[in-house]
Amino acid sequence: MEIVLARIDDRLIHGQVASTWSRDSGCNHIIVANDGVAQDELRRTLLIQVAPPGVKSHVLSVEKAIHAYQNPKYVNFKTFFLFSSPADAYRMVEGGVALKSINVGGMAFTSGKQQITKAVSVNTEDVNAFKKLHERGIVLEVRQVPSNSKQDLMELLQKEGLL
Amino acid sequence: MIGIIVAAHEAYALELVKAAELIAGAQPQVIPISFVPGENQKNLFEKYNAALNSFTDVTGVLFLCDLFGGSPFNAAGLLAAQRVDMDVVTGLNLPMLLGVYEVRSNRQLQEVVKAAILAGIAGVRSLK
Repeated sequence: MEIVLARIDDRLIHGQVASTWSRDSGCNHIIVANDGVAQDELRRTLLIQVAPPGVKSHVLSVEKAIHAYQNPKYVNFKTFFLFSSPADAYRMVEGGVALKSINVGGMAFTSGKQQITKAVSVNTEDVNAFKKLHERGIVLEVRQVPSNSKQDLMELLQKEGLL
Repeated sequence: MIGIIVAAHEAYALELVKAAELIAGAQPQVIPISFVPGENQKNLFEKYNAALNSFTDVTGVLFLCDLFGGSPFNAAGLLAAQRVDMDVVTGLNLPMLLGVYEVRSNRQLQEVVKAAILAGIAGVRSLK
């Protein structure tokens, strides 16, 4: 399996992903790695249905996504991995998934979170997971769509006094 | 009467409903909903539920969304999949909205869905 893109976006497959990122990345499969959605039949069915033309989408638990990555059967997959949180991304990395760079796209504001860009808000748990990903040498870049200029996530966290 | 929720990215729904009002006049039981950066599905559910609660005397609700697979569609899909009196149509445009306005006062939901799709497609033409 070749990883063509990894993105953190709590909207999972939505407009920016289905219309823009999937084409830009050249993926032929989108794997949503999310324990909650994998157990939710309705949300799972809908996410599979909204895959863009020519791309197949899969909704797996994080553990199953790690197994899929390691399975030689999927050698022809050009995979676009989608996570809803940096903690899930780190679980993938701990499970041996070789992510080099992660695009941080959408983490909605909820109470207890601090907003660092228009579309990205973080809490302590998120910051800790980002730190661990950074320590592994993984590039963390914030962009909504491919044509935006990349912002360094660690720099943004530093600027907000979160490190 | 079928209640209409027009839901799209940024202010598209709001402005489209305004544009339709210019042509067809003000309409009851039509609610535009904007999805803006920084929001997620939870925000959309809140807005949709508030809109659904504000409808009176409707026999069904039709969501008209801009993009198949977009967040406004995804959230509407999760609500409508569990209800026989709701449906979602995507590819939202002005002819679609006007087509829906013409029929929704005295038709069943399925007929309004059909009218939305036909009017939306019929409005896409080339001059030559």
